[in-house]
Amino acid sequence: MNYLKEFYKGLWEKNPILVLSLGLCPTLAVTTSVTNALWMCLASSFVLVCSNLLVSLTKKYIPSHVRIPIFITIIASFVTIVELTLKAFQPGVYNSLGIFIPLIVVNCIILGRAEEFASKNNLISSILDGLGMGIGFGLTLTVLAFFREILGANKLFGLTFIPGMKPAMVMILAPGAFFTLGLMLWGMNYLKSRKKEGDF
Amino acid sequence: MERTEIKETMKKIKDNFFVKSTFILGLVAFLSALALSHIKKITYPNILKQAEEKKRKALSLVLPGYKIVKEKNFKMNNRSFSFWEGKKNFNGAKTKGYAYVTSKSGYSGEIESMIGFDEQGKILGIYILQQSETPGLGARCLEVANDDLFWLSLFRKSKKKSSFKTPWFQEQYQGLNLNKKISILQKGDWKPSLKNELFSNNAITAITGATITSKAVTESLQKTFAFLKKEFNLVIPKEDSE
Repeated sequence: MNYLKEFYKGLWEKNPILVLSLGLCPTLAVTTSVTNALWMCLASSFVLVCSNLLVSLTKKYIPSHVRIPIFITIIASFVTIVELTLKAFQPGVYNSLGIFIPLIVVNCIILGRAEEFASKNNLISSILDGLGMGIGFGLTLTVLAFFREILGANKLFGLTFIPGMKPAMVMILAPGAFFTLGLMLWGMNYLKSRKKEGDF
Repeated sequence: MERTEIKETMKKIKDNFFVKSTFILGLVAFLSALALSHIKKITYPNILKQAEEKKRKALSLVLPGYKIVKEKNFKMNNRSFSFWEGKKNFNGAKTKGYAYVTSKSGYSGEIESMIGFDEQGKILGIYILQQSETPGLGARCLEVANDDLFWLSLFRKSKKKSSFKTPWFQEQYQGLNLNKKISILQKGDWKPSLKNELFSNNAITAITGATITSKAVTESLQKTFAFLKKEFNLVIPKEDSE
C-alpha cells in the first residue's frame, strides 16, 4: 500500500510538471506532436527509473559533498545509452526529437528525484517513484501535445484530424505551449484547491 | 600543545576526506565511461550502417536511375563536400546527372542536404541528410505528407498506406529550374493542389513557422550551384536551345 502510494503520487499529487513545476523546457519544446511526447515520456522514464535505482543502491557510498557530480555522471551515462540506442535502432525518432534527447541530462525532474527521493529511500520505493514520476511527466506531456497538435496542426499522430479546417498556427509555436501549459496549471490548482475546501 | 594536536588531526581528516571523495568520484566516472564504451561498441556498427544506408538511399533518390561514374570533393567555406557525376541512357542518348552535398546553418545548427540535377539544370530531387531544427517546426522538412484521416485509421483495421512516400518539403523541389532563382512563397503547408502554382513560379512553399529553415536549404543549394559551375566548368543548361 505504501509502495503504491509512491507510484501514484507522481501521477497526480506531486505531478512533476503541474505541481512541482520541474522540467518545463522539454515540456514546452517537444509537445508539438503526440508521437514526440510519447517517445520523450519513454526516454525520460527509462533514465529516471535507472538513475533512481542506481542512486538508491549506492547512496551509502556516496560522500554527501560530491553527490551532485556523481548523480549527474550517472544520469548522463543513461542518457547517452538512450541516445546511442535510438540513433542505432530508431533513427526517425532520434531525428525528430533532435537536441532534446541529450538535454534530458539537464531535466531537473531527474536530478531532483535523485537528490530528493532516491538518495534517502530504499530500492523498491525509489524505482516506483521514478516510474510514477516518469509516467506523470509523460502523461502531462501527452495531454499538452494532444491539444497543441490538434489545434496547431489539425493533426493527431500525423494524421489529419478534421478535413478542411485551418489550424491555428500560434498553438504549434512557443506561445501556444505557454497558453496550454498555463491553462493546465490553472486547472490543476483549481481542482486541488476545491478538494482542500471540501475537506473542511 | 593541544592546539597543534587538534590541527594535525583536522588535517588528517581533511586529507582523508578529499582522497576518499576524489576516489569515489573518479571511480563513478570510470565505471560510466567503461559502460558507455561497451554500449558504443554494440551500437556503433548499426549507426554506421544507418549512415551508409542513408547516403545510398539519398543518392538513389536525387539521381534516380543514374549510374555514379565519378566522385569528387570540393571545398567551400573551409569544409569539404562531395560531388558526384552520374550517367544514364535515355532514349538511346547518354545523359549526365550531377549531385552534390552542401550545408548552411538554419535556425539551430547546420542543415546538410543533397541535391541531384540534370544537364538542363532541372532538379531531380533533394534529400536532407542532417538537421537539428526545432521539432514540430523546422524539423518538419523531414515530414511525409499524409492525407489520411485520423478517424478513418481508427475504425479501419486494414491500414491503407498513404500515397505519399517522400517528405513533401523535399519533393516540391523536383522539376524546378536551378538556373533561375527559386523563390519561397508562404502558402501554408504543401498540398497537391498547390503543385501547379508553385511550379509555374519556380517556387516552393515554406514550412509553416519555419521560413528560416526553408530559406537556408534553398539558399545553400543555389549558392553552391553557382560555385560548382565555376569550380568544375559545368555548362548548364547544356544547349542554348533550352
